[in-house]
Amino acid sequence: MNRQQLDHILQTYHRDAYIWARQCCSFEDELAKDVLQQVYLKILEGKAKLKNIDKAKTWLFSIIRYTSIDQLRASGKLVCLEESYEVPDVQEEIDHTDYQGLIKKLPKMQQEVLLMVFYHQMTIEQSAEVLQIGLGTARTHYDRGKKKLKEIITKTQTQEHYGR
Amino acid sequence: MEDNAELKRFFENMKEQDQQLEIPPYPSYKTKKINFWIPAGIAASLALLGLIMNEPQPIPEAPKEVLIITLQEGENNEQEFVIEETTYLDVWESPTASLLTDY
Repeated sequence: MNRQQLDHILQTYHRDAYIWARQCCSFEDELAKDVLQQVYLKILEGKAKLKNIDKAKTWLFSIIRYTSIDQLRASGKLVCLEESYEVPDVQEEIDHTDYQGLIKKLPKMQQEVLLMVFYHQMTIEQSAEVLQIGLGTARTHYDRGKKKLKEIITKTQTQEHYGR
Repeated sequence: MEDNAELKRFFENMKEQDQQLEIPPYPSYKTKKINFWIPAGIAASLALLGLIMNEPQPIPEAPKEVLIITLQEGENNEQEFVIEETTYLDVWESPTASLLTDY
């Protein structure tokens, strides 16, 4: 694949790539911009190679995710947790329209699977490829994430309804 | 799927909110065309240098190292020496050839 084709692919997915980078970087804009810059350089310098053009989006999302992890680790913002780690239920008031705040209440893997499936219209199989985990594990994160997010949404709406 | 309707709505609203996001422009990465020109320039310089070095040089004239001294008889029957400088000899006679002469 030549540079012109790669350039075209990156331009096509640029918006999605930026949003995904932002989601991987805990919704921090500046960090996401840095990550995306690094990702594009990696790709254009041939450090990351696309083998199957049909999987361009999955490939790009995977590079973004791993570059984000490296960037978060370098900036000391990444805390390694067990996959099954549940975010402690902190009693803080979150507006039901604070979608980012609500998503951040989920464990990282569940956040990522749900964002890829519901936000980026990808399949669970594609999510598993991006996360480089088995399909079964991805399904588990998907089911648990859905259940947990529904609970969070309901709880926030109830708090808003009765708390004011 | 009714089960996912609430979540779909949630993410649709999130997407709508993200429409306000300022997306950075796609950066333009210039191709390093200079990389091609450097070796090409070096090759051209070497070729030119080779041409200059191989230009046929004028062959320097050989030093006139041969001195021919001839004893000749002049107009008034007197003996005179004729000294001539040249690079070659038309006729060569060994200095000891006279020893072979039969008397």
